[in-house]
Amino acid sequence: MTYTENDNGTYVVFVPEGKFNLVTAPLMKDRIDELLKDGKANVVVDLHAVDFIDSSGLGALIGGLKGARQQGGDLRIADAADQVRAVLKLTNLDRILTPFATVEEATNGW
Amino acid sequence: MAGETSEYTLSGFAVPDQLDAVHELLGRAAAEHPELDPMDVMLFETALIEIANNVVEHGRPEGEVHWTFTVRVMPDQIEADLKDSGQPFTPKTGEAMPGDDAEGGRGLSMAEMIFDKIEFSRDENLNHWRMVRRLGQVPEELQI
Repeated sequence: MTYTENDNGTYVVFVPEGKFNLVTAPLMKDRIDELLKDGKANVVVDLHAVDFIDSSGLGALIGGLKGARQQGGDLRIADAADQVRAVLKLTNLDRILTPFATVEEATNGW
Repeated sequence: MAGETSEYTLSGFAVPDQLDAVHELLGRAAAEHPELDPMDVMLFETALIEIANNVVEHGRPEGEVHWTFTVRVMPDQIEADLKDSGQPFTPKTGEAMPGDDAEGGRGLSMAEMIFDKIEFSRDENLNHWRMVRRLGQVPEELQI
């Protein structure tokens, strides 16, 4: 899994690509933790290029969300594919990780 | 293919790199069965990967556990058998989904929600997971 980032000063758009799973989730979580440590507490995870997420990937997103909120920021998700949205709904995590349709919608108000 | 059972198998080691092979196995089954609802396939794949993750993470001796998947596409259900050579254990089935802020512990609960049947046994020194999902039962809220 690879990722790209775009930091516009107000928030960071984090764009992972591929499978967000047992193998890649720890790497993604480490990177999100680094961003938070650098004071980047508003993060959008643009999931358009993630074709599969498992419970490890969900755990990484929840961990990132908790870290961001502890710093007074937020972690939001955008443009999630069908499998990701289905898994969020199945686990009821869509209540705390609302899937926004676009990055623009997710960053509304920041 | 209607009315028939198609079988797909995979053998290898239960290591992280092999998870992609499990995805490919299901991709092959889906490609040969365009009649399957993509959401059924997607949910089945999601649940099967959680069980596979469990073996990769907890199977011992680490890196030496051998596994065999058999996936069967039938007219009314998809089923999978997973046999692995890891140590004997008892899966903690029937547990509630952990709280919203938990960073782990959802895998087996997710699988139990998706599969209509999930059975575990220890046969001939192998752990044996048998998993079944009946087709056409996608909840309305998950419809694409």
